[in-house]
Amino acid sequence: MRNKTQILELIAHSTREIVPDLESHVFVEADRLADLGANSVDRVEIVMLVQEALSLSVPRVELFGPKNVGELADLFLKKLDVA
Amino acid sequence: MSPELVVTGMGVISAIGQGKDDCASALLQGKHAFDVMRRPGRQGVSAFIGAEIPQIAFPDKMRSQTFRAASLSTQAAMVVLKEAWDEARLSDVNPDRVGLIVGGSNFQQRELTQLHESFRERPQFLKPTYALSFMDSDLCGFCSAEFGIRGLAYTVGGASASGQLAIIQAAQAVMGGQVDVCIALGALMDVSHWECQGFRALGAMGSDRYANEPALASRPFDRDSDGFIFGESCGALIIEDRKTSERREIQPYAVLRGWGLAMDGNRNPDPSLAGEVRVIQSALQSAAWSASQVDYVNPHGTGSVLGDAVELRALRECDLTHVHINATKSLIGHGLSAAGTVEVIATLLQMRLERLHPTRNLVNPVDADFHWIREPTIHRIEHALTLSFGFGGINTAVCWQSDR
Repeated sequence: MRNKTQILELIAHSTREIVPDLESHVFVEADRLADLGANSVDRVEIVMLVQEALSLSVPRVELFGPKNVGELADLFLKKLDVA
Repeated sequence: MSPELVVTGMGVISAIGQGKDDCASALLQGKHAFDVMRRPGRQGVSAFIGAEIPQIAFPDKMRSQTFRAASLSTQAAMVVLKEAWDEARLSDVNPDRVGLIVGGSNFQQRELTQLHESFRERPQFLKPTYALSFMDSDLCGFCSAEFGIRGLAYTVGGASASGQLAIIQAAQAVMGGQVDVCIALGALMDVSHWECQGFRALGAMGSDRYANEPALASRPFDRDSDGFIFGESCGALIIEDRKTSERREIQPYAVLRGWGLAMDGNRNPDPSLAGEVRVIQSALQSAAWSASQVDYVNPHGTGSVLGDAVELRALRECDLTHVHINATKSLIGHGLSAAGTVEVIATLLQMRLERLHPTRNLVNPVDADFHWIREPTIHRIEHALTLSFGFGGINTAVCWQSDR
């Protein structure tokens, strides 16, 4: 089972892959992907990379809503619990 | 009065060089880069010979994020567009009045094949951007975002004539007042092993005959050729009204005097003598040139047995046996969608440098009466005719006059 720290690390890793400028950025839970320079397409790509790393196949609409990286990690945790 | 169209900027990449300076010197030295193709996704049941770009140098001031997310065709496009854009100083032009016409269709097949194979077992995790990238117009999106193009940007497809078709379309966009400046870009045709196999099965691509001597494989107009040899390339050329170029004090490469476009009414790959004669004559007519004025022809010349023979017959029928003629594809291969644009760039570089590049592997010409350029030659091109033909019976011809 994954914990929140691991998921946050996965989000950070995937974000750096899509937005290489963030190579040295230190992620915190309050970070908003949009504010970090990830546009809407980048955000969809980041979420998909995390989903794949977690082997979590859920419809896109179920992952709408989180306002920052911490909330996104919480939502992933919740989906993993259900899965 | 209709505007006088001039070329104010060019950018090019091929297997023998990146940028005009590199490409021009490689062309004049008769360099080539033919070998067994090694790019992932291009290996089939037998090896395919071609010329591949070794690596694309990343342009300064372009975001690495943008460049990394782009396909090979898009990376090449951004590099050549940047070169042409800076040369023509398009940053000083109102972006609402700048257009981009991309020549080519289905030009990212290798990229798509690779992606399909990579996600075959896990389609639920497909990259969401596939919904953007599978369309060729994605290249227009990337380029218009990167360069701030606000006038128009779309693709035109005309098989191997696409690159020259884009030039004609760009010229029409300026003539018709849609934009003041229009970029014609011949897209890098990124073939996968499927397209190579198809071209070979159809008898269009050269056979295994030169499998052990790749340097000898591309031989347009030679009796020992048995098909075209692929080569990656991409080029961008900027067309505008002389008046707008004068405001920025740009010395044009050449004047676009006229063009022709003619269909054979034929779905197949075979050339038509009547169609080629018709398009050459209509181009000369629109430029108000006589055949005797033309001093240089950059032919389509792919290495196709029938295609080369028919093209020379067409030139003969149009009284063009006196011209200087060389085959750019003998050096860089057949760029398919890119060929028409890149070969015009090769023509205008030769015009500016007052030198003609050699034709490689032309040992026994199909027709020896022509003035074949086999060695680097000093010549001032005044009136050039460039030809591009494509499968499905499309013929294009364009007339370029030096602007000295």
